[in-house]
Amino acid sequence: MQQPPAGPPRSWPPVADRVLLGKSIKRLDGPDKAAGRAKYSYDIIRPGMLYGEILGSPHPRARVKAIDLAAAKAVPGVKAAIVIKDPADPVKATINYQGEEVAAVAAITEEAARDAMRLIKVEYEVLQPLATVEQAMSPNAPQAFSSGNVSKVNTSAEGDVEAALKTAAHIVEGVYATQVQTHTSLETHGGIAEWEGDKLTMYVSTQGVNASRDGIADALGIPKPNARVITEYMGGGFGSKLGADVQLVIAAKLAKAAGAPVKIMLDRKHEHLITGNRPSAFAKVKAGVDAQGKFLAWDSETWGTGGAGQGAGFTVPYNVYVFPARRQSHRDVYTNAGPQRAFRAPGHPQACFITETVIDELADRLRMDPLELRMRNVQPEAPNYQWKKYFPIGAEKIGWNRRHPTGDATAGPIKRGLGCAANRWAGGGNRSTRAMCEIQPDGSVTTKISTQDIGTGTRTVIAMIAAETMGLPLNAVTAAIGDTNYPFAPGSGGSITVGSVSPTVRVSAENALKELFTRVAPQLGVTADALEAKGGRIQVKGTPAKGMAWKDACKLLGTTPIQANGEWTQGLSSVGTSGVQFADVEVDIETGVTRVKKIVSVQDCGMIVDKLTAESQMYGGIIMGLGFALFENRILDRNTAKMVNPNMEWYLVPGISDIPVIDITLVDQPDRGVIGLGEPPVISTAAAIANAVSNATGVRIRKLPVTPDTVLAALQQERAGGTL
Amino acid sequence: MPRRKDEPGFSRRSFLKTVGAGGVAAGVLAKAPAVDAQGVNVLGPGPVPVTLNVNGQVHRLEIEPRVTLLDALRTRFNPPMTGVKRVCDRGACGACTMIVDGKTIYACSTLAIEAQGKKIRTVESFTQGTVLHPVQQAFCEKDGLMCGFCTPGFVTATVALLEKTPNPTAEQAKRALDGNICRCGTYVRVLEAALNSGVKRG
Repeated sequence: MQQPPAGPPRSWPPVADRVLLGKSIKRLDGPDKAAGRAKYSYDIIRPGMLYGEILGSPHPRARVKAIDLAAAKAVPGVKAAIVIKDPADPVKATINYQGEEVAAVAAITEEAARDAMRLIKVEYEVLQPLATVEQAMSPNAPQAFSSGNVSKVNTSAEGDVEAALKTAAHIVEGVYATQVQTHTSLETHGGIAEWEGDKLTMYVSTQGVNASRDGIADALGIPKPNARVITEYMGGGFGSKLGADVQLVIAAKLAKAAGAPVKIMLDRKHEHLITGNRPSAFAKVKAGVDAQGKFLAWDSETWGTGGAGQGAGFTVPYNVYVFPARRQSHRDVYTNAGPQRAFRAPGHPQACFITETVIDELADRLRMDPLELRMRNVQPEAPNYQWKKYFPIGAEKIGWNRRHPTGDATAGPIKRGLGCAANRWAGGGNRSTRAMCEIQPDGSVTTKISTQDIGTGTRTVIAMIAAETMGLPLNAVTAAIGDTNYPFAPGSGGSITVGSVSPTVRVSAENALKELFTRVAPQLGVTADALEAKGGRIQVKGTPAKGMAWKDACKLLGTTPIQANGEWTQGLSSVGTSGVQFADVEVDIETGVTRVKKIVSVQDCGMIVDKLTAESQMYGGIIMGLGFALFENRILDRNTAKMVNPNMEWYLVPGISDIPVIDITLVDQPDRGVIGLGEPPVISTAAAIANAVSNATGVRIRKLPVTPDTVLAALQQERAGGTL
Repeated sequence: MPRRKDEPGFSRRSFLKTVGAGGVAAGVLAKAPAVDAQGVNVLGPGPVPVTLNVNGQVHRLEIEPRVTLLDALRTRFNPPMTGVKRVCDRGACGACTMIVDGKTIYACSTLAIEAQGKKIRTVESFTQGTVLHPVQQAFCEKDGLMCGFCTPGFVTATVALLEKTPNPTAEQAKRALDGNICRCGTYVRVLEAALNSGVKRG
């Protein structure tokens, strides 16, 4: 393979010259998805494949004393059965959350596997579980975790909060809370493990083929080159599928025992129970502002639960606004619930809601427009800090000038209100990303890179960049992704995919093109650096008539394709986005029901590659934020710690009738390079909505989700003595 | 469809017999009597012949009565028909939507054996060769899809809507699509696709 040539720093083409970049380009895999042709891990059936079922513990806290697989093994069609929680090892045999894996079977049909799974006899010593943070923090609580139920306090501080608070003209004190949210990807976790000798091929529903392969190989004790993960299509992850999943490790073990491929796909109940969640967040806050509306201090104690032995970190005050003196003392609280996993903008929706609610309360104290208060305190303007510019744009679009002070005085039970909030996110790119660009003698171009398309449109972005670079139409280029056999790319999380793959694909395409130029140049009697690729031709810069068609140029390759490597390079991407959201809501104060009428969003993401798919990301994030605001809640029974709603009829994600008018302004910043957009749009939606509900009802909403009972309780508390 | 309580012939005894509550858990493939003492047909619990008419083609299977219509297509057909997806497996999300005798149903909550003698249409039937149905085309043009896992269910529900109501209002379209869930949040553009697919009357 050719080495990438040294040379001047890389850049994107000038905006005026762009054919594809920045335009609205239809998703390349749209037809396959709409036609039902796209094959996800859940769809794949391999020859001789068996169906695996995992027995999850029904008890959130227990010790496994004995496991008897005899009856399970006797079910006709069962080909393998394994113990996962070995009773002989008291530490390993401890169950810390409902659904934790105990044993597994594989059978010829799924029905037989389920029958067998139900016949596995397990003797549990059921222990008293910790269902809530209050229980876990209580002095009478059983010690459910070896390191204790509550972590050490971690304090971060700047300036002297106590002194600053003493000088405050107004102080707000309150306790704020956000709920546990489950990812609820439509395709559950799992996949197929297939051995051929000592080589293992896996088809996995994952956001990270490389992390999957590496982690599963390690867990099985096999060399990484012996394992391969393939993910052509996957049905959603939102952060829950970034690691190596235990379902594949178990499937691989069953497959080895049975001598046949094994597929395990989690059922919906276990998907809710064990595949991760956004931790809860609690904050006891005392914040102060001076008479002119300058923030002085933020003092907070925070805590939350990420389930069994996991953290619940978030940073307040949310770093959009300047609080010269600040302090946060945080504790992680462990409960017997499914362990947390990264969930679209980890920590940010929680921190944003808490901070933005406090800010609206400070505005009320000052009798100041909350938007004006924000404008006085946002971080100074910078390319990645554009809130001062975006707030007025959003305000105009939502009609902020018709906002009434807190409490809609209109007669009748229907109240209208407006709220706003800001968000920030890093994004960026992973410098270990690599790609290979292949030009075939027949003129076809393929870019190979082991990224995955989790629904964001990565496949299309890759093809667009290669096509743009080579002056080709989009259909001349193929993006080959989702296979650990391809050059390395990081997992699709942190909004770093587009910032990782875009520069790398650009570089590999340029490298391949430069190689092609060296073949064409002698034919035209020029040097290679005199050539350009434009409109399906290779031609001399400034003398376009002197050139040849792309296909003719590629014929010069004879029988050997060009294969050019590309490495991630500086200058084509950067870090840091900012955005604002506004919400217009209608609240019925008799039923407590909130209906969001409109969301306005102003957001940047650096250089937009595909405008169509970028806009879809915006809609998607806002809608997920709406779910966090109004509907979603992982509810545990406070006595048994069992999840009350591990299904999609009681764990409520938004439906089509819940969707408001959504007005998106996506700011293109071509000079900043590619940054990333997956997470920003989900961050500030709930905060804006909750502030709007408070503005409508005249009572302060301090917890999520804003369900009817939350609104009614706040109204009742107000009548009894006030929330303000 | 399960027989309703007010229909003739319903009794707790006959209900329990048709469900086969006794034999299933042991996974024993004993041959059940074809007709019991009360003259009720008993099928299963082992595999029985089931014939399905899907997209105009007849498929003959030998499957247990408890296999759902969804699982029959996805895992028992040769080649498997995996267009519609299994997501919640309990009638809460619409990813398994099929059109059976002109009505949209949740195939995960329909037994294959109940769907015999009915005309079953799935998302695979909307494409003619490589030519997408106007609804599928609209989903692509409006970008009413992201990960795509909910898409076959939405496409099917939209086709069914437009076949009954060729020019729906936004409210009618939302009502028809209320039974389909999307986690990626494509609803805005799904609605645009449903209202602008160019599917004409007749």
